[in-house]
Amino acid sequence: MKIYDCVPGLEFDESVDFAISPAWFQDATHSVPPWTPMFGWFWVNFCRHGMQYGAEKLSLPTVKGWDWRFKDGGGYLALLIVQDPEERKAREERFRVAIRPFLEDFPGLWKGFVDEMVGRYDKLKALNLDTATNIELLQNFEDTISTCRRMWEIHMYMMYGVYTAFVLFEQMTKQLLGFDDSSPQFHRLMSGFDNKSFQVDKGLFDLARKAEAMGLKDVFLSTAPAEMKKVLSQTATGQEFLKTFDDFMEKEAGWRLERMAEINVPTWLEDPTPAFAVVKMAVEKGMSYNLDEDRKKLEADRFAAEKEVMEKIAPEQRAWFSMILKLAQNSAWFSEEHNHYLDLYAHAMVRRSCMGLGTRFAKEGAIDNKDDILFLMPDEVRRAGINPGMFNLRPLVERRKAEWEQWCKQGNAPAFMKEGFTFEDAMGGLVGSMDPIALKVVVGSMPVVRPELKADLFGVCGSPGTVEGTVKIVWTEAELSKIIKGDIMVAPTTSPSWTPVFSILGGVIVDRGASLSHAAIVGREYGIPVIMNTFEGTKVLKDGMRIRLDANMGAVYILDK
Amino acid sequence: MNIIQKEIYWLDELSKEYNDIVGKKCANLGELVSLGLRVPYGFALSVKAYETYMEQTGLKETVSQIVEKATKTGLDVEKEIDKMIEMSAKIREAIETADMPPGLGREIATYYSELQKKVGIPDVACAVRSSGAVSMPGQMETYLNIRGEAEILKHVKKVWASAFTTRAIVFRIQNNMPISWAPIGIAVIMMIDAKSAGVILTVLPTVGDLDRAIVEGNFGLGESVVSGEITPDSFVINKNEMCIESKSISEKTKMVTYAECGTEVCQVPENLRNCSCLEDNEILEIVRIAKEVEKHFGNPQDMEWVVDKRFTFPENIFWVQARGAKYTKKEAGKDEDYVIDLMLQLFRK
Repeated sequence: MKIYDCVPGLEFDESVDFAISPAWFQDATHSVPPWTPMFGWFWVNFCRHGMQYGAEKLSLPTVKGWDWRFKDGGGYLALLIVQDPEERKAREERFRVAIRPFLEDFPGLWKGFVDEMVGRYDKLKALNLDTATNIELLQNFEDTISTCRRMWEIHMYMMYGVYTAFVLFEQMTKQLLGFDDSSPQFHRLMSGFDNKSFQVDKGLFDLARKAEAMGLKDVFLSTAPAEMKKVLSQTATGQEFLKTFDDFMEKEAGWRLERMAEINVPTWLEDPTPAFAVVKMAVEKGMSYNLDEDRKKLEADRFAAEKEVMEKIAPEQRAWFSMILKLAQNSAWFSEEHNHYLDLYAHAMVRRSCMGLGTRFAKEGAIDNKDDILFLMPDEVRRAGINPGMFNLRPLVERRKAEWEQWCKQGNAPAFMKEGFTFEDAMGGLVGSMDPIALKVVVGSMPVVRPELKADLFGVCGSPGTVEGTVKIVWTEAELSKIIKGDIMVAPTTSPSWTPVFSILGGVIVDRGASLSHAAIVGREYGIPVIMNTFEGTKVLKDGMRIRLDANMGAVYILDK
Repeated sequence: MNIIQKEIYWLDELSKEYNDIVGKKCANLGELVSLGLRVPYGFALSVKAYETYMEQTGLKETVSQIVEKATKTGLDVEKEIDKMIEMSAKIREAIETADMPPGLGREIATYYSELQKKVGIPDVACAVRSSGAVSMPGQMETYLNIRGEAEILKHVKKVWASAFTTRAIVFRIQNNMPISWAPIGIAVIMMIDAKSAGVILTVLPTVGDLDRAIVEGNFGLGESVVSGEITPDSFVINKNEMCIESKSISEKTKMVTYAECGTEVCQVPENLRNCSCLEDNEILEIVRIAKEVEKHFGNPQDMEWVVDKRFTFPENIFWVQARGAKYTKKEAGKDEDYVIDLMLQLFRK
């Protein structure tokens, strides 16, 4: 049987792709470790589609979104920059009209999209995967594809719009007030907002309190998270707790994956072990959800900061300045909340539909087990969709799986560069695009090295504050369990499903990130210092080291040298 | 409504329906009282009082004759200004020097005597202000700090006479109004012992920002602020959150205070010059009240306030004027347009 490309039409081919862009960057935040073929197909096709859709809908003057390629499980991106000045001018005119809804009613705009997506998810979930016919399963898969595609349209349209305002606000604070988004003053203006992701975390902490109130503390302390469900179901009290727990999983927390950008791990609904781990951690460490109270303080501090800032702005400039401020503040909570309603939820839907088909395919003999479906791409699923028993897809799965294992072993290059083109040239291109997502999520600010501080590592302030603590290097969610109260988490980047642990952390250091990255936003809301863009924090710092972190100065000091 | 025609009214008997009876200023002050605002105590002489005076003294006839004589051969407003100055002087002298008819004089004296009792100050100093039924800004006189019955009666006549200033006459000719008949009302209200005074606009006038108010003030009486002679202290307040967003305390060298009769400009004491003329609680109370008036009238207000040093907060805040504010209306979406312009500049870097 012929083996096709994983992402037909979008596999990286240096003989033609360097003509489009001399540099292709690896999306290290999302495609390390390498993607399975099925997820790579979804991401590269639709993230790419969404970015071009968003840039076009808004008619961004300088950039038409990003082009994406797939190479050995890695996602590679290049910006589609508008070169012709006449075309830029024409795009500016359309931008004037297109950006207006963001200024007039951002919350209303967002709510409309949330309702649309939740409606789509509910429809997909309405199909019982065990009793559905093959035709229904295939249709569900097709609907999931279009839902994922739509998710990315909304995602990137919203993100481009709101981040444009954020970049503008930062420019304004620089010009009018003399500080940028690495300043603690800036972060005070962006803190103290609630969002859906935090509400889910709060629910988990509430479950811990409930377990204690029901006298289940000892059960949680003595049981491994993986065994929790079994042990709880053996007692009447346990069953009662499980009812609440399952309900919460179904309605709120279950539709998330440990890795935001992959579908080869179970959702919390399929396997609640990670959720039990969070509840267990909350019971063990006496963590309480004081975020509501903290937020009130942060909110009061934000009001104070707003007042201070407004006093420095001339009265006749205040109306438009406060309009930009409000928009920029929207981006702070939107960045976190969209993960819940868009990426995490939609990918959980992709996982659900794939597992439904995978189970059926395995049962009728097309593949050996359900997870094998992730080594197929949609055209191959369609080939066997209605009559899985008539097609043997094992040879495809075997070859793809072997390749995928090879990708994981070898790892992927951080960029593909045309001969003679340097990394600095490439970064210059990113900054010159004025693409707000490239600036505020991918690139971020470069750390300023201040030799007079004699620090061991420099980064950029993501959330203000100073703290001393013990380093815990974290690469995957499984390693979160080694964190104890007051530790400083050091990670390449952080994932939305790691949020609960922030309430016991003393501070965070990430290799890569910008002011709208997950670690910065969550750090601000928990009021803990965060340093980003250290590039080599996970290399320089070691587990168990005592360090002092001064986020305001972007400096890290190793205390026990 | 049923309006009883009287020659004199207490301010709290009035409302804006009395506009044609007592003139705009008096009706407005009455309206402020009816809104529950603290207005300096005082009374209003109606147009009828003016008519009584003119008729009973025979001045109505005298004035007609002077006007008729001057205009018999026609009157060119632009070329014969001397003729009008002469006519004005003659009429004003006649009005100011005629004897007050005993009945009307007694009635004014009674109200003034009642006012002294109300305020608790003998020979309480008053402002005697003109109150025309139609607004003729700055064309008729106002006399401040007038004490005692005789002075009050004298200045009431002076205000009536001021309807015949050259300016007022020219205005009437140009607007095809009768020259010799100019009925006006008069407000006689107690003078405030002003710590500070000024204005509040419940809108930022130059940008049309309806969410903010601006308070401007100086030590002493409000004239120095209204006339624009000094740089007053200036406060911008967010009306929704009721917080003071900015304070600009200027160096205030001069202020207006009472003289023996009338007012005078004098030096602000050295140690006060760079101090705020209002406490924060006074600023917020001024805004709070102005917001209520704005709500009542349904449009942004331009109001004059005075803080009286003889009383304690919040009884020390008095209001002397409220009118619709003139401001540049913000075009819908103007700020949005500006923000979009800024965004586009971002992409042009």
